[in-house]
Amino acid sequence: MGSESAHGGYTGDNLVSIGWRSFRAFWTAEEVPRWFGFSLVLVYLAGLGAVGQFGMSKVRTEARDYFRSSSEYAVQSLADRLGDETKGALADSARVSLFQRGLYDLAAHVPVGWVHVIDGTGKIVASTIPSEVGGATTVTPGDLADIEGDGEDRFVRIPIRNGQGSSAKETVAGVAGGDDAESDNEVTAFFLEARLLPELPEASGLARHVGTLTIILVAMGVLFGLFRCLRAQLRGVRHIADRLHFYGDRIDKELASLYIADAADTVTATWNKLIDLTQELRETVNRSQAHEELARVLERSGGGALAEALNALPDGIAFISDEVRFEYANSTANRLFGWDAQQSKQITLPDAQAAGIGGKALDIIRGAQRPDGSFETRAEVVESDESEIVDNSSYRVWVIPLHRAHHAGEALVVIRDVSQQIRAERSREDFVTQVTHELRTPLTNIRAYAETLSSGMFDDPNVITECYNVITKETRRLSRLIEDILSVSQLEVGSIELHLDQVDLKTLLSEGVRDVRGLADEKNIDIQVQLPAKTEPIRGDRDKLAVVLNNLLGNAIKYTPADGDIIVGCQYSADAIVLTIKDNGIGIDPKDHVRVFEKFQRANDPDVMSETGTGIGLYTAREIVRRHGGDIELISQKNEGSTFMVRLPHRESRAAALSTQEEA
Amino acid sequence: MAKILIVEDEAHIARVMTMWLERHGHHIAHATNGEIALDKLSRDPVDLVITDMNMPGLDGLGLVKVLREERRLTVPILLVTARCDQAKLSEELEPYDVRLYRKPFIPSRLVADIEQMLQLTTVARSNES
Repeated sequence: MGSESAHGGYTGDNLVSIGWRSFRAFWTAEEVPRWFGFSLVLVYLAGLGAVGQFGMSKVRTEARDYFRSSSEYAVQSLADRLGDETKGALADSARVSLFQRGLYDLAAHVPVGWVHVIDGTGKIVASTIPSEVGGATTVTPGDLADIEGDGEDRFVRIPIRNGQGSSAKETVAGVAGGDDAESDNEVTAFFLEARLLPELPEASGLARHVGTLTIILVAMGVLFGLFRCLRAQLRGVRHIADRLHFYGDRIDKELASLYIADAADTVTATWNKLIDLTQELRETVNRSQAHEELARVLERSGGGALAEALNALPDGIAFISDEVRFEYANSTANRLFGWDAQQSKQITLPDAQAAGIGGKALDIIRGAQRPDGSFETRAEVVESDESEIVDNSSYRVWVIPLHRAHHAGEALVVIRDVSQQIRAERSREDFVTQVTHELRTPLTNIRAYAETLSSGMFDDPNVITECYNVITKETRRLSRLIEDILSVSQLEVGSIELHLDQVDLKTLLSEGVRDVRGLADEKNIDIQVQLPAKTEPIRGDRDKLAVVLNNLLGNAIKYTPADGDIIVGCQYSADAIVLTIKDNGIGIDPKDHVRVFEKFQRANDPDVMSETGTGIGLYTAREIVRRHGGDIELISQKNEGSTFMVRLPHRESRAAALSTQEEA
Repeated sequence: MAKILIVEDEAHIARVMTMWLERHGHHIAHATNGEIALDKLSRDPVDLVITDMNMPGLDGLGLVKVLREERRLTVPILLVTARCDQAKLSEELEPYDVRLYRKPFIPSRLVADIEQMLQLTTVARSNES
């Protein structure tokens, strides 16, 4: 093969490598095509047969030729020797025994078939086969074939001459020719007749055994190769069988347990692909079953009415399935997450993305997931960022695990807008803080001045008077404050009740002015009431409206410098009565217009702060007016006085408006 | 005898404090909010500052921060407050070394505490020198 490659160049190299690779592949027998092994074995057997056949015939021919020529020569030599030795006058019996001995010698040293000595009549006088002696020769002249010929059996007949060498051929020819010229020769009466070739065996025992052994070895080689091939193929099948047993023993029937980790060969790789496919199919079936089930449930509970109801809810509701997939989300949830209704069913929790509240809710849901995939109960409040359009909105996100058997990963998510609630809580907290602060200030004064009196350290009568005055004033302030707080808390909890009645406007205003007249006189402030000639009674709560008037007039007096003017007026508009309280006091900066109506808030102005006040009056007044279905408006600039306009709906005008509408 | 600045927007409270402290021989200055107090302090330094918490303009906490952080003032500061969330407030005030006082207060006890604070500062000063 080496020389072949040297002569054959590249082709040889490629053949060598291809052959070697093929052999290696066959030997390792992982991935050999089936025909390759068989054809290789067939080629080997055919080659072996041809070589054997050729060798055998060659050997046989050579052996035959050798035997033939050596036998012929030996027989000729024996004939010559016997001729020489019988040259003297030997008695027939001595001659026969001589013949016999010579034949034994010949038979002992030369491989011949057999040799007879026959006399002229064809009678066998001596033979290498003793039993033939005395018999007649069976060889006819026709059997004496040409020595150069190719027959298997070869018979020769050589005359035993007395001392005269003569070629066997001539002799044979002479005999064969049936020549009678022998008569002049005295001792030509005897011939050596021989079958030159011994019975050659067809093949020796050893050769036969070697052949059989070779065939057995080749067969074993083939079987071994097939076994290797088969085993390699069966390894995958064995793994599959193992996995199937394992799967059968498991309770949960998890398809993943059927996977074969070491997927080196095509069988296991194909198997794994099959498992993948099955699993995919199973998931698809499960999902569609879940959808169908949900659809059925919705159908059963009123033909999609439940779905509509869920979509109409202000709360966001989402259902997370075992595969941490958003199996369902109602309209509100989809809006909060910013998802499309159809698309949401495909979203898994790890992949889910959302902005703003939705994103924060997702963080909470992810935080509620335990490492094993199940959920724990969560309820957290998230607030929208300032950058978002809806400002200051708060949402509470609940994650509620469903605890269904074999569905540990299921959870319900509820997202509720709790902005109102949170605002109410905060305002209640603020209220308490403010009330505490407001109560403590007069209390501090009362306590401090009382101690000043009782300490006995201050005996100046002016100081003592001052102490009494402060205590009296602060006590009054405290009781007013408590009343305010009570009314505020009544307003807060909505328990304030309006006792509606016909209220005469003239009486209401005159009584209101009379109540504050004392305060106004202290600062020499003039209060004018300008009313139309005829006023109509309004429907409202007399006492509550008196409080409104008192608060507004009190403020006007408080924030108007001495010698100022206050004008109380009344106008009728199409649908309302508008009471105006106008002063020429310090005024209110427009930036404080909203603030002054909030409870416990006062304008952020040193001139205001220098006056005592709880920051409740305007809040209370506006709340009462709002309960009547009206509102209070403020027109004011800093240092330009203030005008508070109390708008109360006018019953008659409303009725008139209604009748006008009916006529139209 | 010390110079004390009372920062308080509520006139009666400032008045009663002044009465008691003057009675004990101290000189009292008065300001109605943080800005006025800062203005007065820059012109006339004092030995102790008593300040209210809730005031229009610069409030008590803001005043304390300016005094301690910007002006590096080491005089004792007493912060009087009517606020109810005192735990949160004292947490905020922790870095500033401020004595928190709750309203309503008893004047005699306030005076006694102020005397004690002044004495401690005097002892500390004399130790330094």
